Amino acid sequence: MTVKVRFFARFRELLGTDLITNPNTGTTLLALVKELAGKKKEGYDAIFDEHGNFREFVILMRNGKRVELADAAAVAVADGDEIAVFPPVAGG
Amino acid sequence: MLSERELERYKRQILLFGGEGQEKLKKAHIFVAGAGGLGSPISIYLAVAGIGTITIVDMDTVDQTNLNRQILHTDRDIGKKKTVSAIEKLREYNPDITINAIDATIGGDNVADLVGRADGIVDAMDNYPVRYLLNRTALEKKIPLFHGAIRGLYGQATTIIPGKTPCLECIFPKAPPKEVFPVVGVTPGIIGTVQANEVIKYLIQEGTLLTNRLFIWDGMESRAEELCIERNPACPACGAGKATPEKTRKP
Repeated sequence: MTVKVRFFARFRELLGTDLITNPNTGTTLLALVKELAGKKKEGYDAIFDEHGNFREFVILMRNGKRVELADAAAVAVADGDEIAVFPPVAGG
Repeated sequence: MLSERELERYKRQILLFGGEGQEKLKKAHIFVAGAGGLGSPISIYLAVAGIGTITIVDMDTVDQTNLNRQILHTDRDIGKKKTVSAIEKLREYNPDITINAIDATIGGDNVADLVGRADGIVDAMDNYPVRYLLNRTALEKKIPLFHGAIRGLYGQATTIIPGKTPCLECIFPKAPPKEVFPVVGVTPGIIGTVQANEVIKYLIQEGTLLTNRLFIWDGMESRAEELCIERNPACPACGAGKATPEKTRKP
């Protein structure tokens, strides 16, 4: 299956724009984002804390719908999904 | 009534909005929180559009490191209070409107009074704790919050209408860590102008507002896109999880 993962803002600077992936059936949202972010330590550290949990300010969306960070380990991705991962931008 | 001078000054936009639209702008009072990177283009464009009353609040002093983006302030303003510098420039841009520039730190104890009876709040802040205060004030007063934020060449904006759209805490429930953010002046120029455009449309009641959508600008890629955003039924600010007054978040 094919899943598109889109990072935004600082995460995009660290990890790239649109990443097309082919995860195995049953891959969870958490596992997929971890795998992609894990390719660059700085990118991984921006999104995950030292325990491997999403940092609390990270926004996660699946096909335009918000996914609670606590549910990311339980939600499996499906073919054609578009996942968005972004931080709140704060400057003014 | 618009004066002869105002009819002349706003001639080119009266072609768009009519005299009636221009009257709506003249009667409006808009609160701009911040006279920095976003606050500069926002207040300049609202002033030249003829928003009748603009209240702009900032607690800071103009510093040389501000000048790459804060176009209300110039080299000769270094060391001046931003409010002093702002009111000078905005009066030069448009002497026919009322400008209140208040030198204050926005906090939980003064935000409601500072906003007063304004018709809308424009978010030109650089941190989430104050943005959350502005959000809750907008919800309490049932007035819109025009949100914008930037970092580097990247920016976001959305228009929050209490009761109709997600509020800022629905979209961003947790603040990111504080940082000295990198920025080039064109980014707040773009996002601030989007915010001012929203204010004008809201006031003249024309067009489609940036509601239920997060506008995203990626200046490095020259791409604008949007994400759908939804209300959070359990939102502590606007949903069922709403705090009672004694539980309200302290700044």
